[in-house]
Amino acid sequence: MPPKPAHKRVPLYGFLSAVKGNLEALTIGLKYFLNPNRSTLHYPREYIKLRPGYRGYIVLNKAKCIMCDSCARICPAAAMKMVRFQAPDPKRPGKMKLYKYPVINYQRCIFCGFCVDVCPTEALRHVPAHDVVYLNLAEMELDLDRFQVEPKSPAEVEGGIPVKYIFDPDRGLVKVRATEGGGGSGG
Amino acid sequence: MGWISVIGEWFFWPPFFQLVIAPGLVAALVIVIFILWFERKTAARVQMRVGPYNVSPRLGGALQLIADLVRYSFQEFIIPFTVDKAAYVAAPLLMLIATVLPAAVMPMSPVLPYSYSWPNIMEYNLLLALALLTISPIFTVAAGWASNNKFSLIGAARESFMITAYELIFIIAVLATAAPVHSYDIVRIVEAQRTWRVMALLNPPAFLAALIAVLMSTSGFPFEIPESEHEVVAGPFTEYSGLMYGVEMGAAYIKRYIMSVLMALVFFSGWKPLDPTPGAGVWSGYVAPLVVVLIKATIIMAVISFLRAVYGRYRLDQALHLAWRLALPLALIGYAIGLLYGYLGVL
Repeated sequence: MPPKPAHKRVPLYGFLSAVKGNLEALTIGLKYFLNPNRSTLHYPREYIKLRPGYRGYIVLNKAKCIMCDSCARICPAAAMKMVRFQAPDPKRPGKMKLYKYPVINYQRCIFCGFCVDVCPTEALRHVPAHDVVYLNLAEMELDLDRFQVEPKSPAEVEGGIPVKYIFDPDRGLVKVRATEGGGGSGG
Repeated sequence: MGWISVIGEWFFWPPFFQLVIAPGLVAALVIVIFILWFERKTAARVQMRVGPYNVSPRLGGALQLIADLVRYSFQEFIIPFTVDKAAYVAAPLLMLIATVLPAAVMPMSPVLPYSYSWPNIMEYNLLLALALLTISPIFTVAAGWASNNKFSLIGAARESFMITAYELIFIIAVLATAAPVHSYDIVRIVEAQRTWRVMALLNPPAFLAALIAVLMSTSGFPFEIPESEHEVVAGPFTEYSGLMYGVEMGAAYIKRYIMSVLMALVFFSGWKPLDPTPGAGVWSGYVAPLVVVLIKATIIMAVISFLRAVYGRYRLDQALHLAWRLALPLALIGYAIGLLYGYLGVL
């Protein structure tokens, strides 16, 4: 026979402590009502200004690339692939040469940054942007030309206000306007 | 002069004006829409959000409620085939009507326009208003029963538990203001209160008990138990959609508004900064006191709305515990204080 469930009584708190707790709650509510600390990000009108080292979208500098294949080898999600094509060799006129450059598929990319870390000539770099919109899945597979274009946040393009969240010892997390030179937040 | 005064006389005929214009339906709708916006904005301010904004950003999203109203009116009203159809359709409408009825018997000024004598002539208008206020919860229970849905049934059962808890508290607490003046006439209760000698300060236990009862009866936080969204989807209103849902939700707010008007009259000295004399015209003698009462009622409603931002929700047993163990003794203490004032003749 299962044990009978014990009848749980409502704890009778002291009357004065209950009054005190209610008054404290009302005071805190009134404090925030008079001096609100809103942390909502009005996204298209405001955007978080990201710091320069932010691990966002990846851009290729083709001139620096030495076609070493390291990025494609290290990519854990198999998002980075090398494309091969024949093109005239500038050093030997009249001869063709096999080129290979990395391209990225953002359907697979997990933004781990291994490719940027492993690149021996810093041909790959991160861009502080993470809110680029693609209209369909096929667009997310970049070709060599589009991989060299630096993506921009649409909120930044449309003239949104850059903001950042800082920690204030009195008020907690506070949203302030990010200045031009100052570093952003996020990460 | 002729036809304007005739139309004015018809317009200000109290059975029509009090029920339909103010403090009845039209004023209730305007104030309830404002209070709904205020409630959402207040909760957002306290909880570090923004609240309604994108519809009319310059007005702080004030038109959001109008947009919601329009959306509700054009939504399909679905009648599920398992419901008791007649009761299902009738309950929200009767609820709305029963909620507005007390407005007809609450005098808004000691003088009525055009030598009308109703409702001030009624010596028992406080009792009548309290009696009419007790009708509407029956239709909440009926709506829950007619919906034939487990959430609705649970919500209706909770509502009936709450009715038994708050009705007695509210009636005793409000009658505590009738005892000192030896009258059930709201006009005499208001006239007895001088500048700072308002009933809420003279008799705080009764006022507190009445405030708790208003919160409980209109499912304001922390007593939003019948419609608790996380447990029983929308309580008695789960099966309703479209305009009927809007009517039911609005009826709770209109009830809060009517109770706030009653509390503004008996606890906060009604039209008291103004002192209309029997010779005054329509505007200074009737409309201005009405506006004063409505402003006081709006402030009471705003305070009640502010509580939503602060409190969580009690369980049913905690709420009943608070009602029977704390609010009812408070109301009785308030009534005893009222009797004492009446015996000593303070007011």
